[in-house]
Amino acid sequence: MKPALPFLLLAGLTATCLPAGANSSDRNTELPAALALKGSPEQGKVAYEICCGCHNRDGSGRSKAGYPRLAGQHATVLIKQMTDIRSGQRQNPKMHPFVDKDVVPAEDIAHIAAYLAGLPEPGGNGKGDGRQLPRGKVLYDKDCAVCHGSNGEGNAEKFIPRVAGQHYDYLLRAGKAIQAATGNRRDADPDMVRAIGSYTYKDIAAVSDYMSRLSHPAP
Amino acid sequence: MRFRTVLIALALAGGGMTASKAGPAVKGDPAKGEALMAERCAACHGPDGNSPVPNFPKLAGQHAEYLLHEIREYQEHHRESDLMQPVVQGLGEADMADLAVFLAAQKPAPGNVTAPSLLALGKKVYLEGNSGTGVPSCEGCHEEDGHGSARFPRVAGQNVEYTLEQFRIYSAGKRPYGKKVMRTVAERLSEEEARAVAEYMASLP
Repeated sequence: MKPALPFLLLAGLTATCLPAGANSSDRNTELPAALALKGSPEQGKVAYEICCGCHNRDGSGRSKAGYPRLAGQHATVLIKQMTDIRSGQRQNPKMHPFVDKDVVPAEDIAHIAAYLAGLPEPGGNGKGDGRQLPRGKVLYDKDCAVCHGSNGEGNAEKFIPRVAGQHYDYLLRAGKAIQAATGNRRDADPDMVRAIGSYTYKDIAAVSDYMSRLSHPAP
Repeated sequence: MRFRTVLIALALAGGGMTASKAGPAVKGDPAKGEALMAERCAACHGPDGNSPVPNFPKLAGQHAEYLLHEIREYQEHHRESDLMQPVVQGLGEADMADLAVFLAAQKPAPGNVTAPSLLALGKKVYLEGNSGTGVPSCEGCHEEDGHGSARFPRVAGQNVEYTLEQFRIYSAGKRPYGKKVMRTVAERLSEEEARAVAEYMASLP
């Protein structure tokens, strides 16, 4: 019983600090259970079919539409993002109906993640205009590489996404949303929000362009 | 009661079409299905499931799993139709399987495009969706050629008016077993996009 009071206090504080439109029930409570499930790539291939309309059969996403590439992403990252969206921690009204609990059972989340994590990196992702790459590299090495890795490989254990070879348009959009922090990306890692807190739009664009050009062998 | 050894894809009975485990293949007797078709269904859907009436769906070449699922949905009033309910009410499990395998084996007649000027837009929506409004492409589930799979119905060559009616029914929440997927798609399609994509589906061989 000991932790109950501090927990309640904390919960109360969190509730009062939540931004407009949020509610305390949208914490991602299903993540631990989803991570504990054993994903089957074979079953994931079937379950993933309803995602193909946006993310494509090969997990390459759709650059101009802003739909991210998922092939080769860490399974933990995929599970966290899918369940963040289900819970409302990450607000994505376009995707939400397609990943909601009555559409995708919890075990399918694990299957889909296992399937996507094992897909080879598709070629030809969307990139920026290439004009600010030196600036992008400086920023990346200074602020991003410590977590996302010097080659953009991410970190499966810490839920840090692989960013190498991601579409530029998606990276730019995600960067802007995470920087805002109070909006549709309340699930963002506070360290990440701090790291890019002072970035201008041009900074986010430059580092997004740089990340879109990183590559490394698939995990 | 007669005992017939017919295996049926029970997996589809309770679950949605999005469950990742496919059921066993539908097994039935196509000859019995043909006789049932002539007796109960041909007036609206044609003797081989190539419905001549724009409002009624073409069933020829449709996947047996989907057909079986839909007949059950009518029987259980998850899918409502004053026309279909009385017709399917007396069908047993074996009858439904017989019909499904017969229809799945029939050759679909070419679709009837009613507004060719909309085909270009329809193709774009079908293959790319509309990222501005969050419409996914149709080909993700229904395949590039519109032939679908055991999990998602064939849409190639389908009657335009029937497809449009289904969009309306989905967006009104009246085909709930399709979960949120088709409802969301139907809600997000503009009227022009819906018609265009229905025309494009009709044009697919």
